[in-house]
Amino acid sequence: MAISKDEHIVKRYDQDLTHLRNLVLEMGGLVEDQVNRAMDALDEEDIAEAREVIARDQLINGLEVKADEASISLVALRQPLASDLRLVMSLYKAVTDLERIGDEAERIARMVVHIYDTAVSPPSNKLFRDVLAMAELAKAMLHGALDALARVDADKAIAVAQSDHDLDNQFQDGMRRLITYMMEDPRLIGHAIDVIFMLRSLERIGDHAKNIAEYVIYLVKGKDIRHTALPEPSEQTLQTG
Amino acid sequence: MNTTATTINSATHQGTLIVAQAEAPLKTGPRVIDYNDRRTVGDITVPDPKMVCRDVNVYYGENHAIKTVSIDIGNRQVTSLIGPSGCGKSTFLRCLNRMNDTIPGCRVTGEITIDKENIYDKNLDVVQLRARVGMVFQKPNPFPKSIFENIAYGPHIHGLAANKRELGELVETCLIKAGLWEEVKDRLEEAGTGLSGGQQQRLCIARAISVNPEVILMDEPCSALDPIATARIEELMDELRENYAIVIVTHSMQQAARVSQRTAYFHLGDLIEVGDTEQIFTNPQHRLTEDYITGRFG
Amino acid sequence: MNNNTNPLARKDTTAIVRAGLQRRYAAEKRFKWYGLTAISIALLAVVLLFADILIKGLPTFWQTDIRLEIDFAPQIIDPDGRRNPDDLSLADYSALWKKSLRQLFPEVESREELRSLYALISSGSSLQLRDRVMANPALIGVTQNVDLLADDTVDTFFKGGVDRELPEAQRPLKDDQIAWLDKLKAEGKMETRFNTGFFTNGDSREAEQAGIGGALVGSIFTLLITLSLSFPIGVAAAIYLEEFAPYNRWTDIIEVNINNLAAVPSIVFGLLGLAVFINFMHLPRSAPLVGGLVLALMNLPIMIIASRAALKSVPPSIREAALGMGASKLQMVAHHVLPLAMPGMLTGSILAMAHALGESAPLLMIGMIAFIVDIPTSPFKPATVLPVQIYLWSTLPERAFVQRTSAAIILLLLFLAVMNATAIILRKRLERRW
Repeated sequence: MAISKDEHIVKRYDQDLTHLRNLVLEMGGLVEDQVNRAMDALDEEDIAEAREVIARDQLINGLEVKADEASISLVALRQPLASDLRLVMSLYKAVTDLERIGDEAERIARMVVHIYDTAVSPPSNKLFRDVLAMAELAKAMLHGALDALARVDADKAIAVAQSDHDLDNQFQDGMRRLITYMMEDPRLIGHAIDVIFMLRSLERIGDHAKNIAEYVIYLVKGKDIRHTALPEPSEQTLQTG
Repeated sequence: MNTTATTINSATHQGTLIVAQAEAPLKTGPRVIDYNDRRTVGDITVPDPKMVCRDVNVYYGENHAIKTVSIDIGNRQVTSLIGPSGCGKSTFLRCLNRMNDTIPGCRVTGEITIDKENIYDKNLDVVQLRARVGMVFQKPNPFPKSIFENIAYGPHIHGLAANKRELGELVETCLIKAGLWEEVKDRLEEAGTGLSGGQQQRLCIARAISVNPEVILMDEPCSALDPIATARIEELMDELRENYAIVIVTHSMQQAARVSQRTAYFHLGDLIEVGDTEQIFTNPQHRLTEDYITGRFG
Repeated sequence: MNNNTNPLARKDTTAIVRAGLQRRYAAEKRFKWYGLTAISIALLAVVLLFADILIKGLPTFWQTDIRLEIDFAPQIIDPDGRRNPDDLSLADYSALWKKSLRQLFPEVESREELRSLYALISSGSSLQLRDRVMANPALIGVTQNVDLLADDTVDTFFKGGVDRELPEAQRPLKDDQIAWLDKLKAEGKMETRFNTGFFTNGDSREAEQAGIGGALVGSIFTLLITLSLSFPIGVAAAIYLEEFAPYNRWTDIIEVNINNLAAVPSIVFGLLGLAVFINFMHLPRSAPLVGGLVLALMNLPIMIIASRAALKSVPPSIREAALGMGASKLQMVAHHVLPLAMPGMLTGSILAMAHALGESAPLLMIGMIAFIVDIPTSPFKPATVLPVQIYLWSTLPERAFVQRTSAAIILLLLFLAVMNATAIILRKRLERRW
């Protein structure tokens, strides 16, 4: 019996799976772009850019609907099993997380508009220090998660999942710092709250990126590692089925 | 910036990423990736096994049909045997009640025990074995006799019913267990072959349980039935599981997934993988299993 | 797949197909005509054959009698008046009807003329009268009208088989005989009745007395023996070979030999019967017993083949079901396979019996061709069978025997039809489609 590993007997099945994968990855690229632009808008105080980010969230929502439809029809029509099942379910869940990340990017963009599109003087840059630092890590995590998803690379996904811990630490640090600022100068409270929202969004983005990374690990290893102590997911523990 | 949602590889933003996507092969491989590694993956044992098979080999003349297969058949659970045509799953099933004895030139080696008794032992009577290990076949094959006689035949030849009244009760019980009583209670004297396909197969199941077996073997019991009849049989199997060990051969992976608790994958006479059904169907450990389950055989 | 262009894509396939249609339909029509012609020829042949046989044979079932007033004179039958059966059976009964005839035609006097007058009545009439008297001695001394068998030439004449226009020398009946017969007829002394004698009598040199009864009984005895031997042995052999025997070289050889035996010319079985049953075992010659044995031997291979086919046609799923329930092999066969195969076996055996009924060659070899007047009372008595009887009669020149040959053929065909019908009815009855 001839055995060919990489293709299904039903070619249409392969096409459907590829279509879903590409939809999700396209969505991922778009979402990553949104986050980058939102942060750029903040960095450069570019209200027009921020408004565009807000407008483009619709694109992401549209892609989410499409990807969901593709997933559901795959499940209904092809009844995927084993790795195919894990792929479809992982992508299906990743879509939700991507859409949330898109929402967070939109939220940051709105915040940029809110902060800079007023007569009130913009906040001092020291408030944004943690935001920009966290943004770098969150963006790196998102990029890593999407890359892991695109390449189906469990090692990369594990690295992403592990760096969520750092992001959480940065978030805690940033919060502490902002509270200090607010206690020192209550006039900063208004702006500080905006910044807290941004920090919160970035932390969420990291969480969602971590979720995506975990789906990739599940996809590759067939093992759900969520809500388990992550630190050392050695090859051995992951492979015992 | 005006990316329409439909274009897939529009490399306008984050182009590098998307290009990488299209080329990336899926590396969601199972643990054993060598196609030529035919050692069984997974735990062949179960706690409290009903039947234990060790190093079973079956030859049809020169043809080595089953190659050193070892597996336990668990009590009160459904074990499904899956695999491509000619993989030996039916042959293996037929070893369990020595139906292979009827095939000329068939030779079985190794050890198969039921409750620690070797079924290929010279002292074990094959007639008695078949009363303990019942069988349901692919094509519904009721005897060309009445519904009553179909069920009564087994108890009759084994002398299980003391008198007519007891026999009648036995027939009723079996039909009730097989979920057929309500449909046929008014026409027990009519031909069993006059029933619909699904009813015939349930009649065959009722007939199989009429001699109070411990194990029921089913050889693709639903392959000739429509989905509704199939669902009835599957529901029936789920009920029977409470009292019997059931082994089912099926070509439908969905059916194996629905009805069984353990699944064994055969390939060209080798037992490739055995494990909990859920694990086999979400995360098979052998590449051959993975390829079969996901439909990748060329 | 994408670049793999279909060579047909370049052509107008519909037009090509349409162009070929005419030819195809013509061929189909031609074939239909061939078939119709073949069947018509066959039907015509059958119709001709049957018509010929019926036209020739049917008159046999009626027989011309001549009514004579017989005076059972005691001085002729029982001169000493002791009514001793031995004496009665030895009396000259021909004198009775000869006397009656002379009284009817007093003008006939010369010996020559008298002989041709007496020739009108069957020579068997004396026996007819004797049997009458023996059965009822009280008849002695009584005068009674008795229907006596006419001679076969007279019978043929009355059935229109003799052309009056022919010159006298070419006619079986002379002018004066015809004149006497016309007179008898005018007086209402001649009549035609159903020929029961044809069914009850044995063979005879005299056509009007010859009957098929002996051959019929012989055939029945022979077939009974054939059936009672070949059916059980054939079925048992078939069951063993089909269900129990292992598949190996020996069973292969046996199977090939059975098939070959079925094709062995039947005369060879006759030779075998002659050598084994008669010369070696010294069974009675010409007896239905030996005929039955020979035919049973001849039928066995056919029977085994038919029974095996019937067993093979039982779906294996039934066997599996029975074995799967824990039935032993014998139980499987007895409870499930045999009942399902029985209609086929019965049909096969009836057809084989019909074959045996029509068989004559092997029976010639064991002496069942002898001229036997007595109707056999047991399978050990000499007898003949229907086809052999037909053969015997067909060699005789008298016109009445030609008719009897055809009549016997009708009877034989009737028997075959009845047996085949029985086979069909049995199959329909037993073959319950569950």
